[in-house]
Amino acid sequence: MGSIIKTINYFLPKNTISNTDLEKQFSDWDSSKIENKVGIQQRHVVGENETALDMAYEACDELLKDFNKEDIDFLLLCTQSPDYFLPTSACILQHKLGLKTNIGAFDFNLGCSGFIYGLAVAKSLICSGISKNVLLVTSETYSKHIHQGDKANISIFGDAAAATLISVSDTDKIFKFVLGTDGRGKDNLIVCNGGMRNKTEQKPIEWTDEAGNLRSNNYLFMNGPEIFNFTIENIPPVFDQILEKNHVLFDEIDYVIFHQANKYMLDYLRKKMNIPKEKFYNDILLTGNTVSSTIPIALKNCIDNRIVKEGDKLLLLGFGVGYSWGGTIIEI
Amino acid sequence: MKKQEFIEGLQEALEIEKIKLDENTNLIELDEYDSLSVMAIIAFVDNNFSKKLTGIELASITTVQSLLKLIGLENFSD
Repeated sequence: MGSIIKTINYFLPKNTISNTDLEKQFSDWDSSKIENKVGIQQRHVVGENETALDMAYEACDELLKDFNKEDIDFLLLCTQSPDYFLPTSACILQHKLGLKTNIGAFDFNLGCSGFIYGLAVAKSLICSGISKNVLLVTSETYSKHIHQGDKANISIFGDAAAATLISVSDTDKIFKFVLGTDGRGKDNLIVCNGGMRNKTEQKPIEWTDEAGNLRSNNYLFMNGPEIFNFTIENIPPVFDQILEKNHVLFDEIDYVIFHQANKYMLDYLRKKMNIPKEKFYNDILLTGNTVSSTIPIALKNCIDNRIVKEGDKLLLLGFGVGYSWGGTIIEI
Repeated sequence: MKKQEFIEGLQEALEIEKIKLDENTNLIELDEYDSLSVMAIIAFVDNNFSKKLTGIELASITTVQSLLKLIGLENFSD
């Protein structure tokens, strides 16, 4: 018994921020540079009263038009932007979608590695006989975590949700996983306040960093250079481990999808790892970095645009906040 | 690698076209120098020296020469 990714759907909120919008808002911001180096032309952002749960609903609702919702027997929701501390958003989503009540549902808090972890859990649920059809949802609204004066992070991140249906299959199309964690990196990508350790400050101290971004501990902080260092040091060996664990040679891999952090970082990684351009996805032009949804969005785009075809082997690798990383090989 | 070779490579990595870099150029005063430049330097040094520079270390550099010192002059052949 094995598992297979049956179908994917994603949802992008209606509002967009273009590079021209950013240039108007921040006079010293060079829009051509953002597009050329970071590879982003626009990013979608939720409205004030729209949440990750709302986007999750939209992504799932569309997917379930082509699938009997009675057959969904587990719901996994990856988000770092829950509606409430409690209850967990997955329970609310189960009800909103009208899924059966005799199913499991829970949230898990991960960022850019989240889709891979969700796949690993979904596969485990299926292969252990607990479930037959797992609905894995990734939904993130970093726009709500970012200070309105933080032009660097506003430029990079976009909001999105993706819904992926993973089902039982005679042949296993989701191969073995390599997962990793290193909490030493916690301070390099963090929203410091708002949890139980540090409450949200009513009058937070604000400061401008060396690049001219407004910051406060109530909002997202990303140490770009350190995240870059973590990635270029750790991801190439993880890539090799994924191949080794699955006894697959690189030549047998038809296509590679990494977490779509930004064009510059992916270009550097690709060159460092000698991955041919034509086998490597690098496109967040119209979405920005959508955190846990970049991989399922890329995967759906690749399938819809026939960049990959049935029978192809794809290596997927997510990495980021935590630090946390994970990768696997799937067959389409 | 010779220093001059490094400086020419750095010029290309930072995509600086208006002036020609030399050891005394103050990098952080250049219009082109921004947060992406820090990543470009990390990548360029990683690629050529297999040496990891941190963001904190790079925040302390000013001139090209201070970058050469940070990498370690023993890593250059002249």
